[in-house]
Amino acid sequence: MTKRREIGFTLIRGFLAILIALLVATLLIFISAEGDGIGEKMEAAGEALKQLLIGPLFRMGKNGTSFELKRLADVFAAMIPTIFTGLSVCVMFSANQFNLGSEGGSMLGAFVAGMIAVYVPMAAGIHPVVAVLAAGVAVAVVMLIPAVLKAKMGVSEMVNSLMLNYIIMYIIKYLMSTHLADKSKGQIQSFPFMETAKIGPIVDNSVFTGAKLTWGFVVALIAVVIVAVFMYRTRWGYSIRMIGINQSFSMYSGMKVGAVVVLSQVLGGFLAGVGGGIEMLGRYPTFSWSALPGYGWTGITIAILAGNNPLYVPLAAFFMAYLSKGCDLMATYAGVPAQLIDIIQGVIFLFFAAEQFMARYRQKLVVKTAQEELQRKNAQSLEEGGAVNV
Amino acid sequence: MSNFVSMLLTPEFFFSILRISAPIIFATLAAIVVEKAGFCNIGIEGLMMFSALSGSLVSYYAGSWFWGLLAALVVGVLMSLIMGFFAFQMKTDIVLVGIAINMMGSGGTLFLCKVITNITEGRAMASTTGLITKDLCIPDITIPLVNKIPFVGQVLSGHNLLTYLAFLLCLLTSIMLYKTSLGLNIRAVGENPNAASSVGVSVLKIKYIAMGFSGLMSGFGGAFMSMAYAQGWSLDMVAGRGFIALAAQAMGNGECLGGMLSSLVFGFAQALGIKFSAIGLDSNLASPIPYAVTIIGLVIFAVSRNRKELKKRSSAALEKKASSQA
Repeated sequence: MTKRREIGFTLIRGFLAILIALLVATLLIFISAEGDGIGEKMEAAGEALKQLLIGPLFRMGKNGTSFELKRLADVFAAMIPTIFTGLSVCVMFSANQFNLGSEGGSMLGAFVAGMIAVYVPMAAGIHPVVAVLAAGVAVAVVMLIPAVLKAKMGVSEMVNSLMLNYIIMYIIKYLMSTHLADKSKGQIQSFPFMETAKIGPIVDNSVFTGAKLTWGFVVALIAVVIVAVFMYRTRWGYSIRMIGINQSFSMYSGMKVGAVVVLSQVLGGFLAGVGGGIEMLGRYPTFSWSALPGYGWTGITIAILAGNNPLYVPLAAFFMAYLSKGCDLMATYAGVPAQLIDIIQGVIFLFFAAEQFMARYRQKLVVKTAQEELQRKNAQSLEEGGAVNV
Repeated sequence: MSNFVSMLLTPEFFFSILRISAPIIFATLAAIVVEKAGFCNIGIEGLMMFSALSGSLVSYYAGSWFWGLLAALVVGVLMSLIMGFFAFQMKTDIVLVGIAINMMGSGGTLFLCKVITNITEGRAMASTTGLITKDLCIPDITIPLVNKIPFVGQVLSGHNLLTYLAFLLCLLTSIMLYKTSLGLNIRAVGENPNAASSVGVSVLKIKYIAMGFSGLMSGFGGAFMSMAYAQGWSLDMVAGRGFIALAAQAMGNGECLGGMLSSLVFGFAQALGIKFSAIGLDSNLASPIPYAVTIIGLVIFAVSRNRKELKKRSSAALEKKASSQA
């Protein structure tokens, strides 16, 4: 197949998967819409859908629709942690390591960065940098557990990383409710972060500050480039991808499979931790999470949408953040529960990952390309006075 | 310390181990059968969530636990068949199908609960705990005669119907796998699908059956969670039991008896955690105990398996050497 057709096919296929998911969503919205009779329900569902699809860009009020920068900035800000978890999952899944620890990883990263922001005074410029790096390193060290167990003993990294998610959550909850809690407050939270540790908005105006669109966004984009270069332009990145494609072949061609298995998970942990740390210092004044944030699961969807290619991660993250914002708006203005996002996410995920989805169409395209090639060759050989292949 | 031990040696404690193990046993059976058919279903967690919700809702609306249980089973089987469709026919990686189901099982059940019942607790949460009363739960059963035996009677009698069923199903599943032609086919498909298909076994059909079976078991597990373990469904109530079951399956070496024993180990760990928090340990420190035990258990299992393998290989090498010398 020609490259142009390949890209066209991928786009059509992705578009259809999203369309199916939106159809399912529409059906669910219709069912959950308030109103008596089909007509009223239709109207309510239409309103809800409008909020879902164009709400993240436009404010719809009595005096018409108007573009709103604040909502778009919200969407961009929401991409910060999920770009990191998306990259983290990309690296781990590329090596065929189904480590699902990005979820706990981003919580642990947020916790470590938050604690450094509370207890370790430093100069303004380096404080957030040190805190975020420490967060990354802490999670990388924790990810050594499933990674080494997998590499040395063949224990399933999937089960171990899932168990670690729970363990991380409970231990953080324990520390937060006992030793590190700010007992003067009604809810469970840490003492406030030092001013020096906070990550500021890119532009200091009301829109960017309100949306918490911080420098973390720029860092996330830089991380995308670095990870892409690492995966496609370095020896280690090549080994990670090769082991994902064919582990035995990589082993017999002399790659250190165990080391790469560990490396991919440690790197994935580092990225998840950095993402959690940046999110915490950019968005919150104190640490107050009491449950897993869900960034890890979104990260998995993003990695699948991006086909494990780091360069497409921001696009996929934008898409997910846009949908999620749309669902939030729908919950606020149309009364449809925001958890609809989980169902949409699941359906898109299923169709995107389905190899046979539209395989027949793909087959047709391949045949068409081959026939065209044959025709061209025949025409060429006729010109030169040769025989014709039929 | 001795005080604590004497607290553990009560019939209530052993009773609670059996009760806590039951959903893990169901989930482990679900994991065992698909593993025998040659693949891994990590969506058990999500299947249990959906079954738990539908079970509690239907039992409320129908006014009877029986219909609730039936609904939980039907939903479990249907969802698992959908998973099978994506995995076998659409060629989605089965791990990814499982992740998708788990994703939907967490937030999606909350969405459905809110939409169907119109109940909201605060702004974000919802649950069906207010709807389910004691008579809508699956009943407990007192075994006559046995309940008169001191200690043992208190441990064994008075359990939920599904708790007994869990242990019974261990036996039945084992018989199904090793004494019936269906079981033989399932194992054959898992061992070597090409060989199975060459003797006329429909690999696809067997895989669907295995998947449906795991959905059925997840349905029992889900129903137990929302209609016996707790009264009513609440968000993320399955709390990783579907994942622990994957570990129990591995530790039990893929056999029903082993899986049951490792489920009991996890049940013990959790019951111990509950006791710890009863004597004043922070519940946030007690709650991760079963998860930590899972990791440790997997490691111990892997070490012993690797050692066995090494022994087997070295003894095979020795034999070879001996035979070549002779």
